[in-house]
Amino acid sequence: MQGRWAVAEPQRPAKGLTLYRRIRNFVLGSLTGIAFLVAVTPLLAIIYVAYDRGKEALSLSFVTTMPSGFPVGIEGGVLNGIAGSVILIVLASLLSVPVGVWAGLYLWDQGHTRLAGATRLLSDLLLGVPSVIWGVVGYYVFSTNTGFGFHWGFSGLAAGLTLGFIMIPIVTRVTEQALRDVPRSYIEGALALGATRFQVMRDLAIPAAITGIGTGILLGVLNVLGQTAPLVFTNYYNTGIPHSLVGSNGSVGDLAMQIFIYIHEPSKALHVKAMAAALVLTVIVLLLDMGIRLLSWGSRRYARKA
Amino acid sequence: MEQSVSEAVARKIEVREFSAFYGKTQALKSVNFAIPEKRITAMIGPSGCGKSTFLRSLNRMNDFIPGFRMEGAALLDGEEIYGPGVNPVLLRQRIGMVFQKPNPFQMSIYENVAYGLRIQGVKAHSLVSDIVEKSLRAAALWDEVKDRLKGSAFSLSGGQQQRLCIARALAVEPEVILLDEPASALDPISTARIEELMQDLKDRYTIAIVTHNMQQAARVSDYTAFFLDGALVEVGETTRIFTNPDDSRTEDYITGRFG
Ligand SMILES: Nc1ncnc2c1ncn2[C@@H]1O[C@H](COP(=O)(O)OP(=O)(O)O)[C@@H](O)[C@H]1O
Ligand SMILES: [Mg+2]
Repeated sequence: MQGRWAVAEPQRPAKGLTLYRRIRNFVLGSLTGIAFLVAVTPLLAIIYVAYDRGKEALSLSFVTTMPSGFPVGIEGGVLNGIAGSVILIVLASLLSVPVGVWAGLYLWDQGHTRLAGATRLLSDLLLGVPSVIWGVVGYYVFSTNTGFGFHWGFSGLAAGLTLGFIMIPIVTRVTEQALRDVPRSYIEGALALGATRFQVMRDLAIPAAITGIGTGILLGVLNVLGQTAPLVFTNYYNTGIPHSLVGSNGSVGDLAMQIFIYIHEPSKALHVKAMAAALVLTVIVLLLDMGIRLLSWGSRRYARKA
Repeated sequence: MEQSVSEAVARKIEVREFSAFYGKTQALKSVNFAIPEKRITAMIGPSGCGKSTFLRSLNRMNDFIPGFRMEGAALLDGEEIYGPGVNPVLLRQRIGMVFQKPNPFQMSIYENVAYGLRIQGVKAHSLVSDIVEKSLRAAALWDEVKDRLKGSAFSLSGGQQQRLCIARALAVEPEVILLDEPASALDPISTARIEELMQDLKDRYTIAIVTHNMQQAARVSDYTAFFLDGALVEVGETTRIFTNPDDSRTEDYITGRFG
C-alpha cells in the first residue's frame, strides 16, 4: 500500500507529517484515550467501592447460605436474593422473550404497514414508562386482593410478570433492529430462490440476527436485575425461598431489593453485607454479559468476514 | 411501438405495455419486449434507466418494495406473471436471479447450493448431494471447492462467491436466469469466467443479463435491449445493435457519447 502511493506521488516525503497532521493525530488520539478512561472508570469504581466496603462479608458461604441473625441478614448470606433474582429473570423472560421476539419479527416483516407503525410507536412509548408506574399498575392488576385483577398477592409471579412487561418493549426494539441489520441483499438471495417469508425468517434472518437478539434479551435481563421500584409494589422481599410463587407466602428474595433494604437499616454490618451483595450482583451481570458473547462466538462459524 | 426480436425463436418471456412505478415515480414506461428462449439477452442503458426494475419485475422481487405498482402485462410461457392465481414463490423457482454483489448465505458451501432444495422439501441425502455436485459443476466451481464443501462460503473469493450464487440458482432447476450486473464487482479474470459460464448455460436456460459494460453485452449476448429513461429504445440482435442501430440514441450510447 505504502509503496504504491510512493510511486504515485514520488514528491511526498517518506516521513515527517505536517505539524497540522501531527497535532490532529495527537488530539484525536487523546480523545480516544479519554473516551476509554471515561468508559472504564465507572466500572472499576463500582467494583473497587463494592469490594472495599463489602470485603469483610465476602466468602463462599455468602452466596450459599440464607440470611439469618437479628436483624435478619446480620448473619448468613444472600442465597435468597440470588435464587429470587433467578426466578424473577426466568419468569420475566418466559413472558417477554416469546412476545418481544415475535413482535420484533412482525415489525421487521410488516414494518411498512400502518398497524406495524402504530405498534412500533406504542412499544417505544412503553420503553419510556418509568418502572415505578409499571410497579403500581402491576400491583393493581396482579397483587391487590381487592377489586379487579388476579389477586396473586405480593408474589414472585406478580413481580416476574410485571418485570416481563417492562422487558417486552426492550426485546422488541432490539430484535427488530438486529433483523434490520441483516443485509437486504442476503434476504433477497433467499427470496429469489423461491423461499417463503417464513423460511427466510427461520433459515436466514434469525440466524444472522441471533447475536443481536441475544444481546437484546440480555439488555432486558440486566434491566430487570436492577429494578427495585416494581418489586416494592408487587413482591417486596423474602428472607427465604418460597414454596409457591403466588399467594400470601409467594414473595421471593431479590438481590437489588436486598441491597436496597440492607442499606436502609441503621446497622453497619448490614451495610457491609449490602456492598458485598452489590459485588455479587455486578459479577452476575458481568458473567451474563460474557456468556452471551461466548454464545455468539459459537454461532459465528460461517459468519461473513467483516 | 412494437419491438420484435426474431420470429424463429420462442418467446420465453414477454411484456406488453409494461409500466412500473415506485410510489409516484415511474421507472418503466410502456415497455414492449420479448426475451427469447435459450438465448442470452443483454439489457444496457445508463444508470437509473430502469434495467434492474425491469429484471426484478419479471420474478416479482419488486413485490417486496412498498409502493411498487405495475401496469400492463408480463408473460412467462404465455401465462400472466402477475395473474391472480400466480404464487410468486413458485414463480421464483422457475425464474432464478443472481445479484450484483455476491450474496452467499452464512452457511457452508454445500448448504448454500442445497438451500433451494431444502426449502422445496427435498430431503433425500443422495439426491441433494447429486444436485449440489451437478450445480457446482455447471457453475464451473466444482474443482475449486470439492475438497471444502463444509467450509464457509465466505472463505471463497468474490468471483467464486458469485459462481456459488449461480450454482445456488441452478440447483432449483429454473427455466430462466436473471443476472443483474453479475460481474460488476469482480476482477477481469473472474468476469471472464462468468462470461464463459453463461455461454455454457445458454443451451439449457433462458438468460437475461443487465450489464453496465457494453463490451460485455457485445461479447456474451445474442440480443441486446437498450433502455433509456424508463423506456425501451431499441432491441435486436446484438451484432446489429452494435453495428447498425436504428435509433440515433442507441448509437450515441454505444459509441460513448453519453451515459
Ligand atoms: N426501491 C426503490 N424505490 C424508489 N425508487 C426506486 C427504487 N429502485 C429504483 N428506483 C428508481 O427507479 C429508477 C430506475 O432504477 P433502476 O431500475 O434501479 O435502474 P438501473 O438498474 O437501470 O440503474 C431510478 O430512477 C431509481 O431511482
Ligand atoms: Mg441496476
